[in-house]
Amino acid sequence: MTLRKWLSKGSIQIVVLVVMALNLIPLIIAFSTSLRDPSNNTNPLALFQELSLASYKSAFERMHFPEALWNSIVLTGVSVIFVVLFAAMASYPMARLKTKLSKFMYLFFLSGLVVPAQMVLIPIVQMINALHIPTNQYTPIFMFITCSLPFSTFLYTGFIRSGVPEEVEEAAHIDGAGLFQRFWTVVFPLLIPVTVSVIITQGVWIWNDYFFNMIFISGADDSPLPLAMLGFLGDQQNPTQWNVLFAACFLCALPLLLAFLFLQKYFIGGMTVGAVKG
Amino acid sequence: MSSTVMKKSMYWFAVPALLFYLTFWIFPILRLFQYSITDYNGYAQAYNYIGFANYKELFGSDILGTSLKNTLIYTFVTVIAGNMIGLALALLLNMKIRGTGIYRSLAYIPTLFSAIVVGFLWSYVYMPDYGLISSFLDKLGIANELNFLGDYSTALYSIIFVEIWKTIGTTMIIFLAGLQTVPTDLLEAGRMDGCGSWRLLRHVEIPLLATAITINVTLSLINGLKAFDFPFIMTNGGPGTATNTLIYSIYKMAFTEQLFGKASALGVISFAVIIVITAVFVLKMNKREVSA
Repeated sequence: MTLRKWLSKGSIQIVVLVVMALNLIPLIIAFSTSLRDPSNNTNPLALFQELSLASYKSAFERMHFPEALWNSIVLTGVSVIFVVLFAAMASYPMARLKTKLSKFMYLFFLSGLVVPAQMVLIPIVQMINALHIPTNQYTPIFMFITCSLPFSTFLYTGFIRSGVPEEVEEAAHIDGAGLFQRFWTVVFPLLIPVTVSVIITQGVWIWNDYFFNMIFISGADDSPLPLAMLGFLGDQQNPTQWNVLFAACFLCALPLLLAFLFLQKYFIGGMTVGAVKG
Repeated sequence: MSSTVMKKSMYWFAVPALLFYLTFWIFPILRLFQYSITDYNGYAQAYNYIGFANYKELFGSDILGTSLKNTLIYTFVTVIAGNMIGLALALLLNMKIRGTGIYRSLAYIPTLFSAIVVGFLWSYVYMPDYGLISSFLDKLGIANELNFLGDYSTALYSIIFVEIWKTIGTTMIIFLAGLQTVPTDLLEAGRMDGCGSWRLLRHVEIPLLATAITINVTLSLINGLKAFDFPFIMTNGGPGTATNTLIYSIYKMAFTEQLFGKASALGVISFAVIIVITAVFVLKMNKREVSA
C-alpha cells in the first residue's frame, strides 16, 4: 500500500469517526447524565462524572416500568401476529390473480399509506364506539393492525410474486391439496424472510407509537412504555429533573436496543427485503 | 395460468384484512368528507350542515397558508437533505475501512427510539442556557442567546433536523442495500477507463441506485407530508404558528379548539394536497426509473 493510499484510508476513518460522534452526541450526553444522582446538577458536558443508578431507580418507579414493559409486549405481540396473518392472506390473491380487481385491491391497500391517523381520528373513535368495542388498554390493537396493512401487504405481495414460484403450488394442487391447505402448508412457510421483515418494520413502529395509546388508554397501569414517557412531559422545563428524564428515555428504549443487539442481522435485512426488490 | 389452480375463491383470503381496512380506515376517511360541510364539534350528537362555510373560512384565514407552507418546507428539506446525508453516509460506510459493521449499527440506533423519546432528547439539545448546544458554546467562551425552538426563524428548521436525525438510519440502510447490488466489475471497468470516484458515483453508482432512491424519496415524501410528531412533542406548533404543519393544525383545531367540522375541511384539503403531490411524484419517478 502506498503512503498516499494509506493516508487517504486514515482520513476516511477519521471522517467516519467524526460523523459518528456528531450523530451520537445527544445520546452519549443523555446516557452519561442519566447515570447521575437526581440531585447532581453539574454541567452534562462533563461526561460520566458520576456513576449512580439512583435516577434509573426513580424513573423505573415513576413510569411503572414492569407493568409498562408488559403492556408494550402484549400490545405489540398481539398486533404483529394479526398483521402477519391478515396481510399474508390478503396478499395471496393480490399476487396470484391477474385480474383488474386484484390490481385495484393492491393499489387500494397501498394508498392507505398516505393517510395520517391524526386526520381521521374522530370518525375512528366513533366507529369503535358504534361497534361497541370497549375502549381499554387493548383498543389500540385494532388501529395498529389496520395501519400496518398497507405496508405489509405491499411487502408480502411483492415477495409472493417474485419469490414463490407457482409451480410449487401446482404440485400441491395435483397432490389434491385444497386452496386453504395449500396456502398454509406450502405458501406461508416460504414467506418466512418477508415475515421477518414485516415483524421488524411493523413491530418497531407499533412498539414506539404513543399516539393511538394516548387516545385510548388512560390508566397509568395500562400504559405501554412510550405512553408512560408522556408523564415526564413537564420535566422539559425543569432542568433539575433531566437526570431522571434521561434515565426514563433509556429505560423506554432499552428493550428495542437489546433486541437490536441480538437480532441485528434480521433488523438490517428486514429493512431492505422490500426495498431492494422494489 | 390454469384457473383450476388459481381460483377466484382465493379472494376470500383478503376478507379479514379488508374488513379491518374498510371499517377503521376507509369509512372514517369518507366520514371526514361528510363532517367537512357541518358545524360538528366532535362531541355533541347534533350538528348542522353548513355548506362550504368551513372551506370559505379556511381559505380566508392565515392558518391554511401557514400550515401548507410549513409542511412543504418540512417535506422539501427532509426529502432533499435527508436523502443526501443518507446517501453520503451510505457511501462512506460502503468503503473498505475497518469496523464498518459497527458503524452501520451505530448509525441505525437513533431509528429505534420512540419519537417521544427523541423529542425529549432534542428538547434538551436545543434548550436555551442549559441545553447541549448553548452550554457547549458557553464552554468555548461564546456568549449566546440561542433559542432554537423559541425563535420564529429557527424553530421549523430545528425540528426538521430532528426528523432527519431520526430517519437517517433507515435511509442509509436502504441505500447501502442498493449499493450492494452495484456489480464490482462494473466499478473496476470504470476505474480502468480512468474514471475518478466522482464520475463513477455520478455515472455508474447513482443510476444503479434508482430503485433505492425511489423508495427512500417516496418514503420521506410521505413522511414529511404527514409531519406531526415533533411539532406536537417539541413545540406545540409554536412559537405562534411557526411550526404548525397541516396535520398538527388539524389535530389542534379538532381537539383543543373543538372545531371538528372545520378541522375536517382542513383534513380534506390536506388529503387532496398529499394525494396530488404523491401521485405526481410517483408517476414522475416511475418514468425516470424506466428510462434510466
